[in-house]
Amino acid sequence: MGETGTILVEVFFQTISYWWVIIPTIFLGLIVGGVPGFSAANTIIILMPLTLAMDLETGLIFMVSLYCAARMGAGIPAILVNIPGTAGAAATPLDGYPMTKQGRGQQALAMTFVASSLGGLLTTVIALATMPILARVGFYMHSVEMIVVMLFGISLIASIAAQDMVKGLIAGFLGLMIGSIGTDVVYATPRATFGFLELYDGIPLIPALVGLFAVSEAFVIIEKRLIITDDARKAMATPSWHATFEGASIALKRWWHIAWTSVIGLIIGVIPGAGASIASFVAYQQSRSFSKTPEAYGTGHPEGLIAPESANNGVTSGTLVPLLVLGIPGGATAAIMLVVMQFHGVSFGPSLFENNPKVGYGMFMAMAVSYLFMMFTILPLSRYMSRVTTVPTIYLAPMIISFTLVGAFVPREYMFDMYLALAFGVLGYVARRTGYHVAAILIGVILGPLLERYFLWSLKKSDGDIMVLFSSTLGNVLWVCLVLSIVLPIWFEMRRKRREIVTQ
Amino acid sequence: MTKGHTINRRNFLRTGTAVGGIALAAPTLLRASSYPERNINVVIPTREGGGADRNFRAFTSIWKEKLGTDFEPGFFPGASGRVGYEIYMGKNEPDAYNLIFGNMGPEVLNWAMQEPSFDINDYLYFGRVDTDPGALFVGAESPLQTLDDVIAEGKKRRLNVGTSRMAHPASIGLLSLGEATGADFNLIPLSGGKNTVAGAVTGEVDFSVLTSGSVIAAGDSVKTLLVFGENRVGGALDNAPSINDAFDLDLPEMLSSRAFGIHKKAVDDYPDRFDVLTSTFKETFEDDRLLTAYVEGRGTPEYLNYGGIEECAEFKAAMLELGARFKPLLTGA
Repeated sequence: MGETGTILVEVFFQTISYWWVIIPTIFLGLIVGGVPGFSAANTIIILMPLTLAMDLETGLIFMVSLYCAARMGAGIPAILVNIPGTAGAAATPLDGYPMTKQGRGQQALAMTFVASSLGGLLTTVIALATMPILARVGFYMHSVEMIVVMLFGISLIASIAAQDMVKGLIAGFLGLMIGSIGTDVVYATPRATFGFLELYDGIPLIPALVGLFAVSEAFVIIEKRLIITDDARKAMATPSWHATFEGASIALKRWWHIAWTSVIGLIIGVIPGAGASIASFVAYQQSRSFSKTPEAYGTGHPEGLIAPESANNGVTSGTLVPLLVLGIPGGATAAIMLVVMQFHGVSFGPSLFENNPKVGYGMFMAMAVSYLFMMFTILPLSRYMSRVTTVPTIYLAPMIISFTLVGAFVPREYMFDMYLALAFGVLGYVARRTGYHVAAILIGVILGPLLERYFLWSLKKSDGDIMVLFSSTLGNVLWVCLVLSIVLPIWFEMRRKRREIVTQ
Repeated sequence: MTKGHTINRRNFLRTGTAVGGIALAAPTLLRASSYPERNINVVIPTREGGGADRNFRAFTSIWKEKLGTDFEPGFFPGASGRVGYEIYMGKNEPDAYNLIFGNMGPEVLNWAMQEPSFDINDYLYFGRVDTDPGALFVGAESPLQTLDDVIAEGKKRRLNVGTSRMAHPASIGLLSLGEATGADFNLIPLSGGKNTVAGAVTGEVDFSVLTSGSVIAAGDSVKTLLVFGENRVGGALDNAPSINDAFDLDLPEMLSSRAFGIHKKAVDDYPDRFDVLTSTFKETFEDDRLLTAYVEGRGTPEYLNYGGIEECAEFKAAMLELGARFKPLLTGA
């Protein structure tokens, strides 16, 4: 066993001995991730004095466990009550919530816990083994390439719109228009802010998220007695281990699907500035494009749930790679970790693995051990968590509205954001009642500003020459992949229909 | 002797009660006339957890003892700091219980690009905490490894240069360098220090300019080639020369400079309160513990630098003048 192997084994056992930190932190992370408005990043900021008072190992393990658990926690309300805890879980309800409405909430939770844990664990191992290579991804993915990555995510609007193209595209276009509100990234000129200072920084994501999904969902469920049907309720009233094991088994049988979608998350996580929301939308779109049953997506299809959950947990290990290897945090949580670690005298960057290998490897090991613990501690809870859906809506709807409005207020502490969430709630309710897909609006709101940012940077770099979009080899390869991922499924579908006609 | 002055049991008790009441109420009455009676709210126009936050916490950890009250920060990021200032000037009472903690360099430059909704003379900075010069740096793997490489390449083609935002002192430093050498630079605003460092390291841009404290924090992944002011930290900025020394110029330092500001009306209406603020601010600088707190907050000790009302006003005026001069280049107008 080489020197690195010895360090890894030593760090693994050392990390396990911190179970007393990891297990409570996992439960804290689940709560933090599940409540919209809270995230691992702002929790670490709030608890920064505590984090700084901890010794280096404890602080490091605490932050990493919180980060991973919060990512997983965001999927729980997304599945049970159609409320993504963070933007990274915005693609989860597309198939997760229909499963709950069919009385398969417990199964869906078990599935997502297995997919998230395995995805996170697998990508942690891959990241550990291929760190120097992965760290190079950022060197090739510049603004031009990122435009194409964004378009992968945005093309999901077309997939969602497949059932009613006009309504789908109108919803997506509306989302993109809403996403363009705020000041532009080059000259900070306000656009469509209507004089509201609160909109200068763009449409805040959490109020839009909770409004479109949670508040509108509360309006919808208030018209019913229960979220789920009576038959489904009877099934949920007596939760069994069978459903948990069945969900876990469904996920495990799709291990290959978990593997490749989590690798998408890992790669997108490595790119500085990209994050879980992009990863989950891209993974969902790719999963659907290469599926033999694309029409099943959106109806409670297991692969439609597994893809975004594996991907957004793959992002967690990805964001650590540029932080540890280059000293550049891949996302907001990694940036806060950087501050805390620097307080402890740890300098990230190329020299970290020479000067402080135990810290470098320790962060990945903390992630791997956290995911291991999560799988065994959270999985049994799925049978109890899913009972949320059996609560009558007269109690559930006010709770959803009050919790989510508080969540909308928390990130910026503006009353304005609560009103905004209500406005988005009304928009979402109208959209649902008239057959427009709220997810298509949200994709526009989340990915639109990012697409615009990379587009304006590219144009600024090229002095306005639009051909810059086709100026890089990797970018051109990605363009081809994008076109293929859109055209091939349509072509396969047409061929299948032709064969059916011929057979008949 | 009148009846009223007769000392009897009733009068004794009445007088005693009154005196006792006054004695008991005295601390409250005294407090009412003293300042501060409650916490001071501070608007910070950037995100929580960033450099301004750390700097603020470090400084106020000492200042609060001198002032005898605590500080409550409120974070209002957005639109290059504009949101925080608009909220401070528009919604906070001018009573000396509301302050702003801003970065005078980039934030004042903003007013030269787009006028705010308030008169910029309606607030003033009264306490400068630090001065941090801008720096030009390349990624560790960049083909441009020396300043000569940068200038030579900039004369051959237009170089893309990352900056935190267009209206930034480091951007002006870069434009001055272009004017002095004839090199052609194209500023790309990468929205924040983290992205600006990443842009240089990953090759998104040819190189970047940024506040030097952030460059020092980026460690080995970057190499500093030029400082738009005096290099007071030597090796921490790779012994990079100052722009004035390197090109025999006489430019003012292009600084980021964090300072506390206050409504002008509060200064006019409550001069006694303002005196307390300014005197305790200065006392904080005389406390040895400040340096320790500043370094613990990841501050560069060489940048800790007291400035009063006059120094701040001078800096604000210089920034406005520079902004007006370079406005066409920074706004694309």
